[in-house]
Amino acid sequence: MKKKLVAVLMTAAMAATLAACGTEPETENTPADTNVTVAPDGETTDVVVGQGSEDAIANLIAATEGTVDLTLWCSETEAYQNVMAQLVDEFKAAYSDVDFNITIGSQSESTCKDEVLKDVEAAADVYVFADDQLNGLVEAGALQAVTTTYTYNPIEADGAGAVNAASKDGILYAYPLTATNGYFLYYDSNLLSDEDVSSWENLVAACEREGKKVAMEFSGGWYLFSFFYGAGLECNNLANDAVNVCNWNNETGLAVAKSVQDICSSDAVINLGDADTCTQVTDGNVIAAVNGTWNTGVFEAAYGDGFAATKLPTFNVNGQAVQQGSFAGYKLVGVNSYSDNLGWAMIFAEFITNEASQLKIGNATQEGPANLVAAPQIATPAIAALGAQSNFATLQRVAGNYWTPAGTLGQALYEGGLDDAGLQKALDDAVDGICAE
Amino acid sequence: MKTKKAVDMVVRHVFLALMALFWLIPIIWLVVTSFSAYPGIRTSHFFPEQWSFVNYQKLLFQPDTVCNFPAWFRNSMIIGFACCIISTLFVLMVSYAFSCMRFPSRKKLMSFSIILGMFPGVLSMIAIYFILKMFGISDSLVGLIVVYSAGSGLGFLICKGFFDTIPTSLRESAKLEGANEFTIFTQIVIPLSRPMIVYTVINSFLTPWMDFVMAKLMIRSKDPADWTVAVGLYNILQKTLLNNYFSVFCAGGVVVAIPISVLFVIMQKFYVEGITGGAVKG
Repeated sequence: MKKKLVAVLMTAAMAATLAACGTEPETENTPADTNVTVAPDGETTDVVVGQGSEDAIANLIAATEGTVDLTLWCSETEAYQNVMAQLVDEFKAAYSDVDFNITIGSQSESTCKDEVLKDVEAAADVYVFADDQLNGLVEAGALQAVTTTYTYNPIEADGAGAVNAASKDGILYAYPLTATNGYFLYYDSNLLSDEDVSSWENLVAACEREGKKVAMEFSGGWYLFSFFYGAGLECNNLANDAVNVCNWNNETGLAVAKSVQDICSSDAVINLGDADTCTQVTDGNVIAAVNGTWNTGVFEAAYGDGFAATKLPTFNVNGQAVQQGSFAGYKLVGVNSYSDNLGWAMIFAEFITNEASQLKIGNATQEGPANLVAAPQIATPAIAALGAQSNFATLQRVAGNYWTPAGTLGQALYEGGLDDAGLQKALDDAVDGICAE
Repeated sequence: MKTKKAVDMVVRHVFLALMALFWLIPIIWLVVTSFSAYPGIRTSHFFPEQWSFVNYQKLLFQPDTVCNFPAWFRNSMIIGFACCIISTLFVLMVSYAFSCMRFPSRKKLMSFSIILGMFPGVLSMIAIYFILKMFGISDSLVGLIVVYSAGSGLGFLICKGFFDTIPTSLRESAKLEGANEFTIFTQIVIPLSRPMIVYTVINSFLTPWMDFVMAKLMIRSKDPADWTVAVGLYNILQKTLLNNYFSVFCAGGVVVAIPISVLFVIMQKFYVEGITGGAVKG
């Protein structure tokens, strides 16, 4: 809490000082000075791949004097740090005419926005962040829009979902890196068949048969979203960044809530947070769980040769099988618009996100690349499952007010015992909270 | 009569033992988990299934990109010791001035510093960050030492209370012998206030050693070797790292307690004396 407060205060203070000093970012963030047009929603305006990009880079090299200092922030894990160090060496070799001093810092993607916005001027030139932070970073002017590229075109090279995640109002603001931050179903194929994991009804029956459990964090808004989104309901902050729009309390929503409550009524279904899931999976109690790639190692060790992963099951809404949806998350590489070496920062960001680099990062970290050519070459069950689920996934675009009411709703549905009126009231309360300004 | 007394005694002690156990459970759990051979979180067993020293080995002798404990420990130690010396000096000097010297506005200054000390320090954090950034020391150990020790003189109250208990006649006779304030301070007051100094030393070491908020705000460096123990250990608590580092984190929690415990055990006797000594005349 304290930390959050500090972050907020820092941001406010930053804004105040910037306004007071009248400092202008070295490059405008708004695309007003470029001649690209904003595409209709959902489509990202194509970027211009530098005409005669060889010349552009040659000019940049000629204009560069002295040492170019660049800082890169990426995940602190050994795998990431090592592969990035290797890519930095390759980058230096590729542009050997210029003297680079590139520092790699440890900063987890999930908290990158807070760290960047604490003091944008002191933040890294190039940083890796999770896509749900994009809007906030863009609004704070911390991301350089990618309207021109030198070596490749991210919009053609990377998956449409990733490009969409890296864009705001039709403008690309970051280079997609990986497409692995989502959830899907892990299961033990020694105990469960393909048929068993195809629907929640079968899954629950199979777990009852085996005397084991299936785990999901029903009381977490991140996971609960999947049922309502799967049934075609919406909850997002696309219209206004600070306020959510949500229609979970209509008739379909009531049917979804009923269905979730039915699923949870079985003793074989258990509501577990991340740490408890890992514990119970290792203990052999839980033979199937909705979870993400960060826990792959735990499931692999526990299920042994039965380790398997697949898309999420279907569930029953008004007698019809509906595919459960999910949030899809991407890691993006952003260039700080306050960077002293903007040109080189952009070329460097391009370099670490190009096809060859994404493949190397994928091999080193076991995370699925966003690049369309590199993606199929990293084949693990978890990434394949995430790929299958991605057809039913959407971006995480919700304002902060979403989490607590959604979590409370999930807890109520898990505890069960609500009749139609009770469910409707729980939904109404949740929607009121989610849509609060 | 005798049996009644014995029963009474047993009941009381069982009750106290239970209370002590409740209080100690989290600490016991932290210690036993730090000896677990399983790296991630495992909440189904209180005691680990397999015991091992591997976490301590990893923590102390195999620093990697996520956990560089030796460097964190060194940084925290440097800050702790520097603050310890500077803060103790400040507190003793301020207390001496307010307690033993007479000068105009002494009372007013004292009230002013007490009121100043009542403002929550959190309010000034942003200002402190930008001021230190202006000096170019926001991202360094020096900056943190300044932050922790610069305002420490405000914590003079207890120490001043203790100094007040030192008889005025001692100082007066020294003065008659020709001693100046500095001599009185170093030769008379300081030797007499050993318990108070111990208390001040412990306090001024603990503040920077345990602080997280200020360190997190001030340290901008993303090189794990520049972090303090609190910032570094906190960083391990992320869902992507927990599965591999949770037991190491627990081991870190245990190791952090060692310097505090050692300091405490050594100075315990004086500590109690110090607090109560100052409390008689506050």
